[in-house]
Amino acid sequence: MEDAACQLERDHVHNVYEKIAPFFNDNRYKAWPKVRKFLLEQEPGSIVADVGCGNGKYLHINENVFKLGCDICRPLVESAWNQGHEVQLCDSLRLPYRDGCFDAILSIAVIHHFSTKERRIRAIKEMARTLRMGGRMMIYVWAMEQKRRKFEKQDIFVPWNPNLPCCPNCDQTLSRYRAQGEGLQGDGTDKHRKVKSTSSMLDREESPVSTQPRMQRLWFFSRSLDSVLDFGSPTVSRPSSQELNAKCPPAEERDGNGARSVSWGRGGNFIQQVSSLFSSRSSLEEDIFGSVTDLCAGLSPKKKSNDGSAMTQSVSLVQECSSMPLPDLVSYQKDIQLEESEIAGNQCQESIHPQQKLEDGTGCVETCCESEGSERFMRYYHVFRHGELTELIENNIEELHVMQTCLDHANWCVVAEKVKACINKPF
Amino acid sequence: MKLLTHNMLTSHVKGVTKGYPLLIKATEVKVNEVEFNPQFISRMIPKLEWSAFIQAAEGLGHLQNLPSTVVPEFENNEDFLRDVHKVLLEVEVIEGCLQCPESGREFPISRGVPNMLLNEDES
Repeated sequence: MEDAACQLERDHVHNVYEKIAPFFNDNRYKAWPKVRKFLLEQEPGSIVADVGCGNGKYLHINENVFKLGCDICRPLVESAWNQGHEVQLCDSLRLPYRDGCFDAILSIAVIHHFSTKERRIRAIKEMARTLRMGGRMMIYVWAMEQKRRKFEKQDIFVPWNPNLPCCPNCDQTLSRYRAQGEGLQGDGTDKHRKVKSTSSMLDREESPVSTQPRMQRLWFFSRSLDSVLDFGSPTVSRPSSQELNAKCPPAEERDGNGARSVSWGRGGNFIQQVSSLFSSRSSLEEDIFGSVTDLCAGLSPKKKSNDGSAMTQSVSLVQECSSMPLPDLVSYQKDIQLEESEIAGNQCQESIHPQQKLEDGTGCVETCCESEGSERFMRYYHVFRHGELTELIENNIEELHVMQTCLDHANWCVVAEKVKACINKPF
Repeated sequence: MKLLTHNMLTSHVKGVTKGYPLLIKATEVKVNEVEFNPQFISRMIPKLEWSAFIQAAEGLGHLQNLPSTVVPEFENNEDFLRDVHKVLLEVEVIEGCLQCPESGREFPISRGVPNMLLNEDES
């Protein structure tokens, strides 16, 4: 279970961020206001850790506290270093800090990348260990429920396409001096951030909505690794990233009409199947991974054929998906709605591949899977139900008590306080 | 890596019980000017493991005037606060490594960033 979880995260979190790290630089989005407020509320002389800091987007806030950041992604950490921040490379399941040394901790958009419940608990416990008594941590994770609709499943893969055109307004570079404190006047750096919301929307997760053709915003449903492996499947083994990025499914057949269908006869590696599904034109159904689960349980594989009903379902599903913004972009929808309609029209025209069709659901899938020359990086997320994170903490981590919960623009935000000394060491 | 950061870092190799403080072996050290904020330093001092701080400063040849124990009523002692500020925030290890006092395992520091990632067998 642990190996499969590690492997999934390596392939669909760490390796992806390593590859897409160079594209994050210079295009930074506004800090979530609640996170900013949390940091500004810390007493002068506090020590704050940003666990999973990425390229350090929060590390400049509040010059009166000492901030350090850590992340597992080397290029992102180096980028944060180049902006003048104290950062380390580490695994958040094994934090290299002594017990109780932090006054506050941030965990922004990190926990949702852990592929099992157990690992999510461990990660939060590790942070709790390094928090002092009375100290608080703020955790942000993607929410399953959103204003207009919700993700159908909790475990999803989200594509990232590096070849999307960058927002034309993104010219601001947050270059910082190496010496800490120099060049800052209170929240002076925030001045750099008062730019058009289109440019400030860029996040390490996504390109801006305004320049991204709507068809690109898809995600793919999965089964939780917890539930897949409950079948006691011996078939979960090491997947390969090459297979994931392959344009064609590994075992492909054509029926008499030339329509493609996916054969499951490859020995049932869960993650390989994920990849073949992404490449398949015909198999985007609501509970697409139901068949994966069957396979894992040793049942005979079903063949997906390109019949009309499946197609109708897939078209509507894809259209549904593509119109639903992802959690980290939702907050800025209002600001840029006007701009989007202006810009998107032009941008879409420019970036449309000849094969792409906006109306055609199949076309959408093709676009995503087979965009010319581009590799697709699928990032794994476990999106959280209402109350899930709070419950996770209250039921499993005695050291912490949840003080606040709220839904902040499609993210669950939880603030928890250390109320008890850690009893069990994680290792 | 500043010495304030170093003061928080510990070896977390499996089985190690005394992984703190890490021994600094520096091959490149830089000193930058950092704006002095007396309140910041004053509040930071109680959070430090002072002996680890002194040991690290000494190892880097930057002990200067720092005492082996914190002076009483340091909050109003600006000279003392300035001395601490210099060593805590202005001295940076750019290249070198951090050595676990118990296992001897070395964590590299490269381009100012300590790599605290463990191998599979260490975690």
